[in-house]
Amino acid sequence: MTATQKIDPITLQVIRGAIETIAEEMAHVLFRMSFSSIIRESEDLGAGLFDTDFNTLCESESTPMHIGSIPGYLRGIAETLDDGEWCEDDVVVHNHPYFGASHSPDLAIVIPIFHAGKLVGFSANTAHHIDIGAATPGLIIDVPDVYAEGMLFAGTKLYRKGKRNETIWSFIRRNSRASRQLVDDIEAQIASARLGVRRFKELLDRYSEDLVFSACNQLMDYSETMLRQRIAAIPDGEYRAEGWLDDDGRNRGQHLPVKVCVRVIGDRVEVDLTGSAPQTPTAYNVPFEGSTKVAAFAAFRKLLLDTATSETRVPSNQGSFRPISVIAPKGSIFNPEAPASAEARFTQCNFMIDLIIKAMAPVLPSEIIAGSSASISFASYAGVQPNGEYWVFLEVNEGAYGGRPRSDGPDAIDNLMANTRNNPIEDLAMHIPMICDRYELRDDVAPGAGRFRGGMGVVKAQRILTDGIITHESERHSNVPWGIFGGHEGAPGKCEIYNIETAEPPRQMHSKFHGLAVRRNDVMAYYSPCGGGFGNPLERDPQKVLEDVLDGFCSPENARDVYGVVLDLEAETLDLALTEALRLQLEGQLQRQSL
Amino acid sequence: MARIGVDVGGTNTDLVLECDKGIFFHKVPSTTKDQSIAVVEGVLQICDIAGVAKESVDVIAHGTTVATNITIEHNGAEVGMLTTRGFRDILHIGRHKRPHNFSLHFDVPWQSHPLVKRRNRIAITERILPPTGEVEVELAEAEVREACALFRRRGLRSICIGFMFSFLNSRHERRAREIVLEEIPDAYVSISSEVANVIREYERFSTVAMNAFVGPKSALYLRNLERKVSEAGIAAKLRVIQSNGGIATIDGCVKKPVGILMSGPAGGVLGALAEARLAGIDNILTIDIGGTSADISMVTGGRFRIKNARDTVVSGHAVMAPMIDLETIGAGGGSIAFIDTAGGFNVGPRSAGSEPGPACYGRGGTEPTVTDAQVVLGRMDADKFLGGDLPLDPALSEKAIREKIAEPLGLSVVEAALGIIRVVNNNMALTIRANSVARGYDPRDFSLMPFGGAGPFHGVALAELVAARDVIVPVSPGITAAMGLLGTDLQYEHTRSVITPLFTADQPALDRVNAVIDELSAAGRHELDNDGVAPESRVFEVVAEVRYHGQGFELRVPVIEGRLTRANKSAVIAAFHAMHVADYGYAFDDSLVELYNIRVIATARVPHLALPLVAPGQPDDLDRARLYERPTVFDDGSTHMTPRYDRRKLGIGTRVSGPAILVQHDSTTLLPPGYTAETLAHGSLKITRA
Repeated sequence: MTATQKIDPITLQVIRGAIETIAEEMAHVLFRMSFSSIIRESEDLGAGLFDTDFNTLCESESTPMHIGSIPGYLRGIAETLDDGEWCEDDVVVHNHPYFGASHSPDLAIVIPIFHAGKLVGFSANTAHHIDIGAATPGLIIDVPDVYAEGMLFAGTKLYRKGKRNETIWSFIRRNSRASRQLVDDIEAQIASARLGVRRFKELLDRYSEDLVFSACNQLMDYSETMLRQRIAAIPDGEYRAEGWLDDDGRNRGQHLPVKVCVRVIGDRVEVDLTGSAPQTPTAYNVPFEGSTKVAAFAAFRKLLLDTATSETRVPSNQGSFRPISVIAPKGSIFNPEAPASAEARFTQCNFMIDLIIKAMAPVLPSEIIAGSSASISFASYAGVQPNGEYWVFLEVNEGAYGGRPRSDGPDAIDNLMANTRNNPIEDLAMHIPMICDRYELRDDVAPGAGRFRGGMGVVKAQRILTDGIITHESERHSNVPWGIFGGHEGAPGKCEIYNIETAEPPRQMHSKFHGLAVRRNDVMAYYSPCGGGFGNPLERDPQKVLEDVLDGFCSPENARDVYGVVLDLEAETLDLALTEALRLQLEGQLQRQSL
Repeated sequence: MARIGVDVGGTNTDLVLECDKGIFFHKVPSTTKDQSIAVVEGVLQICDIAGVAKESVDVIAHGTTVATNITIEHNGAEVGMLTTRGFRDILHIGRHKRPHNFSLHFDVPWQSHPLVKRRNRIAITERILPPTGEVEVELAEAEVREACALFRRRGLRSICIGFMFSFLNSRHERRAREIVLEEIPDAYVSISSEVANVIREYERFSTVAMNAFVGPKSALYLRNLERKVSEAGIAAKLRVIQSNGGIATIDGCVKKPVGILMSGPAGGVLGALAEARLAGIDNILTIDIGGTSADISMVTGGRFRIKNARDTVVSGHAVMAPMIDLETIGAGGGSIAFIDTAGGFNVGPRSAGSEPGPACYGRGGTEPTVTDAQVVLGRMDADKFLGGDLPLDPALSEKAIREKIAEPLGLSVVEAALGIIRVVNNNMALTIRANSVARGYDPRDFSLMPFGGAGPFHGVALAELVAARDVIVPVSPGITAAMGLLGTDLQYEHTRSVITPLFTADQPALDRVNAVIDELSAAGRHELDNDGVAPESRVFEVVAEVRYHGQGFELRVPVIEGRLTRANKSAVIAAFHAMHVADYGYAFDDSLVELYNIRVIATARVPHLALPLVAPGQPDDLDRARLYERPTVFDDGSTHMTPRYDRRKLGIGTRVSGPAILVQHDSTTLLPPGYTAETLAHGSLKITRA
């Protein structure tokens, strides 16, 4: 590709609009066309255009974990490509975690873009597939190595010069518990990537290759400048935070430390994860290229280029990755070495982001927020139908945000790197032998108190109507989301399994468990962590405390003892005078305690 | 006999009256506190203007933003909700997806401005089981009464009921409503199986909650309007435009105000459709450009499209009510151009609105807007804006563009102004493309129709950008929406989920589907009976909402014969495959095709607006219409001494060649060099490349 021009700001805006629309169109086709609920309902996917140096030119606004991961795939494909070269109308599938993939269930489909007979870029997307033939249906955790993850593709051509490679398609069809969905969803990915090729070629024809790529380069520089300006405004220094993860899914009770050091050096940032746990013997590791780096990039976009508070939206391209470098020693949980498995990698990423936010508290007090659920609940439910075929259902459960400098932490919502949609309960029950018994805010605990309170988590109880198997990837059963600047801590997550036909008490589950055989009418009830509070609860607007009590976000006792608010519950009103007096008294107690 | 269309906008209430003397237009300032004041006033005035007795007005068709404004201003009813135990917070959780990927400080509209506060969402013991709808746990009636006692204590009068799986069996919802009405006789009760009888709990509950939220106030407004109209001695039947492009009676809207949330913008598309009919055109891309935003839609084969129910969101809340498929973007005359800290050039979505308005209004606005760019380029004559009613100050436009854009970028003021126009046109063109080309339509088969006061400035440029065939400028671009109200049919829609694999469907399965069609048709027939619609003007349309088994999105396939038979089901399957190919470029196997919902649309045809013919063109039309000429800058940067023509004086077939500007009271059409505008029979303009 050639790119030699200086593009005026107006033309730049025109090209930007065009390529962003292409990425959105690609994502739209993919989730509308696909079959498995993890793609069509949850939108666990990403799509975009890339140049021959594997720079992201544009990417759809779908799920953050996918955004920024595709360059890693492209570098991995460059090392492994079938035939060693790209030809027009090739279609490649790739998911190898040691060749740049985010994790193996996220298959990338890549199609080269040729213009005037020359390779100029790639149209690509990634999507989470429900079963690629791993050790157990859907998800895995307690497995020995990467070979237990199922089919690993590295630079594998599904089409050569437009000709379908039937051998590989029939291989795929025979190696998945949900082969129909897998194959049809790959078709959806191909349709989406082909659309990207067509649209990008139209753009090149209209504006010329040189103009388009010159503009793309300038747009990357633009995003980079925006982020560097924000970083430069932060005082240079090392900012640290640390915490731990529950366990690796096998060795119970052995916490895994996570250490984050953010080095701000002028207009760039280094995220150093040295000191975090060594790689684990299970699947609980994070591929460095496709996931660790992506999470670090996302953390700074959230912190410094917040789309809700910025007047301008910074284009989603390579430029926003450049000012950030990531260090994680080889052989550590954030940079495992083969043959370690690295499929269950989400909660570590989310926790790392939570720690980056915490580390920056001293210098970005009005940008950061209190501790969030910063985990995920990713469950796979599966069973065998009478005809011998599997059914598999993957579900992402939400978390909650920590309190924020100007508002409460949102309740029951996908947290940090996660941003999927839930699967309608009614739709589920019409298609799969499961039924939901409960889905609402959990009211067994309170979210973190603060001037702005933390978000409330959910409880979701899913009952399985046949014998089956469940794998659950989750976190923070022992490590409670923190409060900040005087805010109180939130509440940990928990998970229970019980059978509605027996009187046995619920079994308390570890945050991660693998391949658990369950019986008909067993229920898994997941309770997500609640966010920590931001600021001193005695400074919370008393009216808000009254509202919280009426709405069940705060008990009358906590209103009095923690928030110092005096209420008349019968009349549903507030006594401001008594509240002021009580708050003075509680403030005094706090000061005496701290002396 | 006369018919009147009344469209209430933010600034003006537009009226169109059609009678045997012809068509009359009128505008009065909107009365924002109570829209009905301006409506009645305007109706009386336009009757005077037309010389029509107010007693002889037969129908008033009304487009209103009342329900929409309630959602924007968050001032609807305090609502109580009864829902299934264990699922109290479906409305609070929504689809658990954040509105922003990269943000820590985002707002969650369904949590910060809930339709029903958590304290008023009361869980009731009851359970209906999928997939058959059998009752596992009977409704705990005592709990319903207890909840009503709480609602009474809190003074709640608008109650909604949403139970899980009620789309399979509505018995519990209906029984709970009976109890609520016993306990709170004056309650406004909405139940989910009536308001949106479809699968997907969050969307169904959100829809019924929205109905309860906007219901009482909308009902009050509509009843009040009805009373005022009759008190003013106007005997007309009052009809309200719905989001789906149909019109409904006051009674219908009072029960289901969730159907009029997009009443305002729907009028624009209907107006464009009416104009297209007059011009004899089937395929149009419509763009209604106002001060802060532009509404973009499409008409194919003489019909507008209905939005996929998965995309119908109003003020952040899911609403499963059929709506015309239109996209609104933050691009209009008031959109502000600015340079950001990294040197990026942006236009909108922030707008100067009407206060302070563009810099040239001289009301204190200092930021350059799209309107200021038009003024600087000599396209809007400062002394003639709105017929000279609101003189503009071009020096202020020039200053704003020079200081905020031209100097920072090292451009001339004209270059900067051209840049503003180019970026805003591009933003609009991308949305038009996303709504047409991206769905498999060839833009070369479409005319672009720009309207709204500012629309015809942009028409030719947009048609070029999206490669549309030509441009049709409506007769009165400023009041197209009001005209649309007179071209609409009375319409009722009923939907039910009836999940059926089509390929393997046997006779009993088809019978089940047809029984649903019969039931929904009967409901529509009943409503048309109530409206006194003659049998010969009734039309029933059956739509199958179909998907591949496992997909999350349905496409709408017409069931032409109105019943599903073994003979025609393969045609339905084939039509679905074809639509899927058109939308996504791919079709899957027959075995996967699944019927999801049945929708029956009951319509009463009304006569369409008949604009009179304009006078035949005369050889001296151009001379008579010619006003004056001034230098004007066009999009290619060239400046021409450009004549202005009075559009009203152009007869049928008269051709104007660009460069030219065609003016009328509330709109200006820009005709660049190389283009010709021909006046069509009813007065609209067809612009083509010369």
